[in-house]
Amino acid sequence: MSVGGTPRRIDSEGKVTGVTEYPADRIPPDALVAKVVFTNQAHARLTSLDVRAAEVTPGVVAVFTAPDVPVNVYGLTLPDQPVFVGTSHTGRTDVPCDVSRWEADHLALVVAETAHAADQAAAAIVATWEPLPVLGDIDEAMAPGAPLLHPENGLGHNVYTTYNIRKGDMAAGWAAAAAVVEATYEVPYQEHAYLQPEAGMAYIDDHGRVTVEIAGQWTHEDREQIAHALDLPEDEIRVIYPAIGGAFGGREDTSLQIVLALAAWRLHQRGEHRPVGCVWSREESIVGHHKRHRGRIQARWGADAEGRITAVESEAWLDAGGYNYTSNKVLGNLHLGQGGPYEVPNAQVTSHAVYTNAVPGGAFRGFGGPQSAYVAECQMNKLAEALGLDPVEIRRRNVLRDGSIGITQTPMPDGVTIAQVVEACAAAASTPPPASPSEPFTPFATLGPAAGDLRRGRGFACAFKNVGFSFGFPERCEAEIVLHGAVGDDAPHGADLFHAGADVGQGAHTVFTQMAAEALGLPIERVHGHFSDTAITGDSGSASASRLTWMAGNAILGAAEEADKAWRNGDRPAVGKFRYVPPPTEALDPETGVCTPNFSYGYVAQAVELTVDTGTGHIRVDRVVSTHDVGRAINPDLVVAQIEGGVVQAHGYVLSEDLQVRDARIQTPRLSTYLIPGIGDGPTVIEPLILELADPIGPWGARGMAEMPMMTYAPAVVAALHDATGVWFDAFPLTPSRVLARLNESGRP
Amino acid sequence: MKYLAPKTVEEATTLLAEHPGATVFAGATDVIPQLKAGRPEPEALVDLKKISQAVSVSDEGGHWSIGAATATAKLTGNKALAAEFPGLVEAAGLIGSDQVQSRATLGGNLCNASPAADSVPAMIANGMRAVIAGPGGTRTVAVEDIPTGPGSTQLQPGEFVVSFELDHAPARTGDAYLRLIPRTEMDIAVVGAGVRITLDDAGNVASATVAIGAVAPTARRVPAAEEALVGNPINDTTLAAVAEAASAACNPIDDKRGTIAYRRQVAGVLARRAVVAAAERAAASTNGASNNGETR
Repeated sequence: MSVGGTPRRIDSEGKVTGVTEYPADRIPPDALVAKVVFTNQAHARLTSLDVRAAEVTPGVVAVFTAPDVPVNVYGLTLPDQPVFVGTSHTGRTDVPCDVSRWEADHLALVVAETAHAADQAAAAIVATWEPLPVLGDIDEAMAPGAPLLHPENGLGHNVYTTYNIRKGDMAAGWAAAAAVVEATYEVPYQEHAYLQPEAGMAYIDDHGRVTVEIAGQWTHEDREQIAHALDLPEDEIRVIYPAIGGAFGGREDTSLQIVLALAAWRLHQRGEHRPVGCVWSREESIVGHHKRHRGRIQARWGADAEGRITAVESEAWLDAGGYNYTSNKVLGNLHLGQGGPYEVPNAQVTSHAVYTNAVPGGAFRGFGGPQSAYVAECQMNKLAEALGLDPVEIRRRNVLRDGSIGITQTPMPDGVTIAQVVEACAAAASTPPPASPSEPFTPFATLGPAAGDLRRGRGFACAFKNVGFSFGFPERCEAEIVLHGAVGDDAPHGADLFHAGADVGQGAHTVFTQMAAEALGLPIERVHGHFSDTAITGDSGSASASRLTWMAGNAILGAAEEADKAWRNGDRPAVGKFRYVPPPTEALDPETGVCTPNFSYGYVAQAVELTVDTGTGHIRVDRVVSTHDVGRAINPDLVVAQIEGGVVQAHGYVLSEDLQVRDARIQTPRLSTYLIPGIGDGPTVIEPLILELADPIGPWGARGMAEMPMMTYAPAVVAALHDATGVWFDAFPLTPSRVLARLNESGRP
Repeated sequence: MKYLAPKTVEEATTLLAEHPGATVFAGATDVIPQLKAGRPEPEALVDLKKISQAVSVSDEGGHWSIGAATATAKLTGNKALAAEFPGLVEAAGLIGSDQVQSRATLGGNLCNASPAADSVPAMIANGMRAVIAGPGGTRTVAVEDIPTGPGSTQLQPGEFVVSFELDHAPARTGDAYLRLIPRTEMDIAVVGAGVRITLDDAGNVASATVAIGAVAPTARRVPAAEEALVGNPINDTTLAAVAEAASAACNPIDDKRGTIAYRRQVAGVLARRAVVAAAERAAASTNGASNNGETR
């Protein structure tokens, strides 16, 4: 059987042998070289721009600026960002285009024969700026009299999106509480740090389409944004994804898509037909794309003497940066998570997104969920401590179950399994880990004999995460299957699968192929996939929200059924096209938040054991049991890979990754100062524990799972650190210096 | 930019006299990244790795001679050296990564003059001397006197370090180097501590050298810590005095890798732990006259 098996990944041979082409590999030697010129201004008004010297620099072919863009504005969920900051533009946007609101706003695109010429020309651009007050963080942006970063929205302040939940009777909730815990939490940025920095190329294809080959997460959305900015019909734009070197949400928004398309299109008009390529350095990548949001959450929770939650009062502020990106959607996810995966009878929850001049916040594995899960689970663990309850027992008494009414006052989708996930995780964590096949690393040997300074602790956390787009977004996913065979054949001898879904490295194309083979009853090698090209595939939606396997599976099942009908009807080839639409969701009510937010969830629990060196502040995570209900593991190896990769990414988020921003400018744009985990840094033992409790509407019962390992690691580590030291950490990353400073100030241990 | 590769010390000094704007290099693990980061190209790069004296490790009877351009992988792979000076060899084995250590050298680590250079506190703790060649001939200088500040040394124009001298350790001697980075590998020291201890027959400290790195413009000795140790046993009182002295000797900066307060506190912790590690090695030591033949 193809589903549930672990066939060799369809991309493995090419990636192992090095023949697979990533976007930068696709750029031919004769391509022109494009360089994006950043404004390098966190907040300033452009008063003049002179590119004449750049245009006459030897080797320069063209310099594109704001007036070259038909519609000089873009944005994935809110068009609020100029393609180029400029002193003039076509006037087809209300967004003031002469203001740089972010150091990596684009000022110009230089196209040259060589990278050297492009660099020379970029340096020859003369821009004069009128400095504006830099809003370095949410406090500055919300201060009275702060300048408005987007006056065009008419709101009169920089807090541009707010969501509410008002449920039950808060006074009654507090009156019933035997314990109340309250804290203000600060959550940090995280950089995606994918292996492949942004790169791409654009050209005009044989059908005259403006074609962009690039790494992204949603071909058809990229196409829509390019078409909008260039004011062209979508069918005159083509987007192709070659192999993609990681994404994690960092390619949800466009990077080079629009400017490369613009360059190829404008050059073609001038009779220049060579492709235009661009490859960002790591520094350009870190400065030039959005981050996981930093933010602040104030939370006050009450529980009765049995540990049952009586009230949740919570307010969050996310630093959206200079532009929305997906902040208004991330905020919704964070909002929903502020009460945790629990029965909450009385709730007052508020969430805000705030424009600042810092790097935009946006999509990143978990999409607002890790921030609110950190807060909710820390609150839950503090309640357990206050009431003298075991952390697992207090969850047992509060978790959502089938038939539960969620915090937005509508029933949970059937198949609520968090209670089973919590029990399985707790049971696994209470037994010793399996013997390690090899000697574990001794990573902190260089810190010397520290026996007297070492403390050990254990922590627990659980969470839910939506699968698929939320809050009324028109979710859909298309697939097409073509069956081949002769007229008299009983069964097809092979099939073509057409699907746009992005394989960002997670193995999506292998999983699509497995699911198509299973649905068609064909061996996997008889299914030939054609992926991620808007010219030949229908809209799949994004590789995000843990949705792709789930949505694509349902679309593939539908397409297989349609193709089978055509086959039995005698069509040769037999074509089946299907557009899967899941159960509808609803937007939050503005006052009460009442809505059906989602159609499916995944559930996770993690148990962490760690050792902290109280002399230096170093933390070693000795073991994490990461427990996931994946409904059905379409490919168990890939599920394990997602868990292990997600845990290590979460480990960096919680322990070492410290994106330093001063005056709204990134101070750590290199991997030598922004420290992602190395091979010796992650948990010594990662135990993935996979449950297969079917989602009633998932394909083969599958649930999404890719984001879930990120959700609970921070609160589980913080709980273990508290167990070890008696000290709560209401902010992270838990770098050695922060840990030691907090231990010093608490006087323990 | 010319690449020059002299085969003898004399040839090198002649070339350096002819090219006053030249940069000397060995493994180039600092020079190449610096050039890529935009440092102006020198007139010439002079490679010391073709000079045999600069790339050899030998026991000269009374002392070891370690070529300044010897890849640190050659040091970590030298069993006799590692047995006699485990702390020094461990420090050399912490520079960069395995790949970097196939090129990186003690001479480069010292003369690049980063305050955070891993090998330098360990070299200072072991009293190593640098043999310097130059237009005026050869001179020998204590390693601790070579760096004068971040990126600067007392080397004069045309001078370069050819090799290091390291006296054999007396009996009941041990050394240790501890290094703190936020991660476990591939990073630059936030704090480093190199210690050498010689014990007397009663188990008290007969002599001690304590050096700390990354917490001041140059790696530096901590005389107050050494004084607290000499003549005393290793116990909580002396260790607390060592930690206090090491913290007090710090003059660190706030940077992306660590705060002043953190560096100062952890310098004390690492110095204390390095003393414990070095003393344990000293107590277990087989160094000294009784078994020279076996350990070398």
